[in-house]
Amino acid sequence: MNQRLWNWHLWAGFLLCLAGFASFPFFARFPVTRDVPWPNFLLFAIGGAVFFVGLKRAFGQSQQYRGKIAGPILATLSLLAVGFFCYIVFYMTRQLPASAGAPHVGQKAPEFVLPDTTNQPVSLASLLSTPLVGAPVPPKGVVLVFYRGYW
Amino acid sequence: MSRDLCHKAGYSYTFLSDPKAEVIRRYDLLHQGAGVNGQDIARPAEFLLDSSGVIRWVNLTEDYRVRARPEQIIEAAKALK
Repeated sequence: MNQRLWNWHLWAGFLLCLAGFASFPFFARFPVTRDVPWPNFLLFAIGGAVFFVGLKRAFGQSQQYRGKIAGPILATLSLLAVGFFCYIVFYMTRQLPASAGAPHVGQKAPEFVLPDTTNQPVSLASLLSTPLVGAPVPPKGVVLVFYRGYW
Repeated sequence: MSRDLCHKAGYSYTFLSDPKAEVIRRYDLLHQGAGVNGQDIARPAEFLLDSSGVIRWVNLTEDYRVRARPEQIIEAAKALK
């Protein structure tokens, strides 16, 4: 019994699934891989394929390979990692308010006055009417970006 | 809102702070309890205004991971007279 081979496919598949989950903060730094996290799903797919080979060996060739106990445990943990990832990217980050009352195209943007980084009050009207540094005339438009972050 | 961080990041455009979420509420962009420790924060949103202050382009994302890309806004701004 001790002669059975170590079933490395199970562990490699498990580690690939974990890597697919844990690498999200890295891939989220680039807009292309944040908007559609395909590298993470690629890692999950490769991990799943490798894992499948390991399971086939553990249960189909159990005389030769180990993994009848580790296999189901690692499979459960891998599925939890993939499932939690899917929950985050397909459900959690889509939980946003309806914002039905947000200003729409063709409407005049509501006026406001807010402090800038030097604590000087800045109005939307002044942003629209003040030429940028070095420019002779006021800007053709203004972009308002509402963002969330902690700084 | 940190002046030093803006400077370090090289941002030359205007950064405004809305600590009481007054303007965020006026624009109906409040995402209640979504911040750290359950604070109210803004949902991400981008508006392009023409020189008279009329909105010409809006992006209200359905997924807060996915925001407008700079090239999208530049493309929309090309239509401004």
